[in-house]
This record gives sequence, C-alpha cells and structure tokens, in this order.
Amino acid sequence: MPPRIQRPPSTVASILRCKRTPLRSRQYATAAATATPAAGHHQIPNIPDPIARYPPTQPPSFKPPQFRKSQLLRQYASLLRSTPLMLLFQHNNLTATEWVGVRRELTKALQKVDATLVAEGHVSQNIASGVKIQIIQTGIFGAALRVVEYFRPEAQQSGFTHSLSAAAYEAAANQRTAHGLSPLLSGPLVVLSIPTVSPQHLKAALSILAPNQPNFPAPTRKANPGYHDLSCQAGLAKLMLLGARVEGRVFDVEGTRWVGGIPGGLDGLRGQLVNMLQSIGAGVTNTLESASKNLYFTVESRRTMLEDEEKGEAPKA
Amino acid sequence: MTEVSTAFNPFSPRAKTARLFLSFFPADARQRIKMTTKILPRASKDRSFVQVKFNDGKEMKLDAEKLGIKGIIEEVDRHSRSLNRANELNGN
Repeated sequence: MPPRIQRPPSTVASILRCKRTPLRSRQYATAAATATPAAGHHQIPNIPDPIARYPPTQPPSFKPPQFRKSQLLRQYASLLRSTPLMLLFQHNNLTATEWVGVRRELTKALQKVDATLVAEGHVSQNIASGVKIQIIQTGIFGAALRVVEYFRPEAQQSGFTHSLSAAAYEAAANQRTAHGLSPLLSGPLVVLSIPTVSPQHLKAALSILAPNQPNFPAPTRKANPGYHDLSCQAGLAKLMLLGARVEGRVFDVEGTRWVGGIPGGLDGLRGQLVNMLQSIGAGVTNTLESASKNLYFTVESRRTMLEDEEKGEAPKA
Repeated sequence: MTEVSTAFNPFSPRAKTARLFLSFFPADARQRIKMTTKILPRASKDRSFVQVKFNDGKEMKLDAEKLGIKGIIEEVDRHSRSLNRANELNGN
C-alpha cells in the first residue's frame, strides 16, 4: 500500500524550508559544563545572545528570495530610495526599434544639457549617464513604493529591517491604496529616473518625451534631424506622461512641467529665495524703524510748535 | 476604426479602463488610426471617456468609468464585426 501522505515535490519543499521559523538558540556543551552541575534551573545566568544564524549579507526573506519578484522588489526599493526625481509614462506597444530611437534622442539631449552646464562653469556631474528609462512591473513597483514610504526601519525594536523582511511586509501590507501614486500603477508603465533634482535635465527630457508649446518645444528638424526620424516619432506618439514623483511627493503632468520650468535650475531657485529674504529684511527694518521715526517726528513737530508759540508770545509781552 | 480620442485623469482609479483600451492597440495601429489623448490634471472630476469613429462614419462615445474595459471592447467589437461581415458579403 502506498503511503497516504505524499511527499511534496522538491521545489515546493525548498520553499517551505525557507519560511521555517529559526530554532531556539543552542548552547554549547562547554558552556553548560562550566556552570556548577548542581545549579537549579533558576540559577543559570542570562542566556547568551543567540548565535547569528545568517550571514550578514543574506538576512532571511519574508518571500522566497530565489523568486524573481523578490529580487525585483529589492531593486525597485533601492531605486525609489536613491532617486529623488522619477517620471512615470505609459507605453503602448512600442517596438524595439522605437525604443532605441527614443533612448538615443533622450541621452543626446541630456548630454547636451550636461555640456552646457559645464560650459557655464558648473562642476561636471555627468547626470546624463545616470538617467535610465526602464519598464517596470507595476504590482511589484507598488509594493516597493509602499515599503519605502510606510516602513520605518529605525522604529523597529528588534529583528531584521531590510526591504524583504517580514516587518517590512507587515508595514506595507495594509496600505494598498493609501499612496498618491497607487492609482497610476496599472497597465504598461515605464519609469524615467533622474539621479538628482535638476530642472534643466527635466526640461530637456520633457521636451523630448512629452513636448508642449511654448515652454517645452520639441527640437526643430534642422537642429536635430534624428528626432524627426520616423521610428523615433512613432515611439514618442505612444508614450504618455502620467505623473512624477519628486522628492517623495507626487506631481501630475502640470506639476511636472512646473518643476521642469523653474528658471535657472536649482541655483535660480536659490537666487530667488535670497532675493525674497533680502526684501523681507528690508521690510522688517523699515517697520521697526517707523515707530521711532514717528515718535521723533511727533516730538520734533511739538517742539517747533512750542518754539513758534514762544516766539509769538515774546513780542507781545 | 479611423479615429480614437480619449480623455482621462490618471490619478483616478477608474481611468484604468481608458488607459488599458489605449494599450490594446497593436504597434502599427497609429499609421491607420488617428489617436488623440487628453490627460486631465489631478484635481479634475471629469469622467473619462473613449470616443471611436468607424469607417462607415458611425461615431461612438462610451463612458469608460461605467462600462469597464470588457464592456468597451464588447461595444466596439459589436460594430466592427458587423462592418467586417458587410465587407465580406461585398466580396472584399
């Protein structure tokens, strides 16, 4: 008679083994031998820290780590943590040649921006090489977004605190529709990630990928014939800008264009702020001065009035 | 189909229908069909719609929020099937 309980196949068994709770901490026999043999159960000193059962580079994962989705979640979480500026597009069945054209034009435009920044005397940051346009898996991207936004590793008392840990899963599980970006995460999506918040680069990218008159004009046929290539144009017609995530905040298309339209980039913004603060300072000093000035004028006018009266009275007397 | 125009606010969960409808067109569809898409700002409360114009001049304006993607595909397919049948009967 065959056994009633069938053994699970080896693939399933390996997954089950992965989620097994760790055993209680073991104690070495030598440690027990040093204690007095007659010591009672309550007299044994504090149990030493459990032996680290996992190498520090491989902490245990909540979901099976050998699955592609687990590794994608890690990748997306690190992308979301490291990238302050990312744009979300919907791509409607672009062919490979169209992708090539789009990527080529994008890198060309960004390299041009880098070159002009260096020519203006800024330190070369070489942002263009860090800009990446990649297709994402929406569900896993949403999960990674929730982990990044709602999981606070520093608030955890104990245990593992990496993005794949059980604690991160618990923190993110109940926030399914809470984030502002979550309605966007459906259908075919592509993410353009820019490693720094640089309005100049954003403007260049927008005028290539989502041109809009008058602030984000597409390059003219004379200036950039490659942009008006048939395959590139066909690809760009199928890309739709949906929104953006800038410094952890969600922007719609208008908001993205506003960020891209900041004149002079971040330096220009700082200049504006300095101007504003200076004018505020001038206003404050004016206001503070005005009280004493008023008093001075009042007293002064009273004095002249009295003097006039005295002068007027003197000849009569 | 000769013309497709849609409008939706991507920050509304119900805009999924219109977005999926656009993603169903094959890669070379834009050579034959004129497509216009309007993306509404985040605060707008306008309902998303799909407007389709066929070869015989019939126009359809479908409410994407009410129908769902299955409903829209069904409505559009119903008319294009009848057009196809008429074409075949004419010997084309």
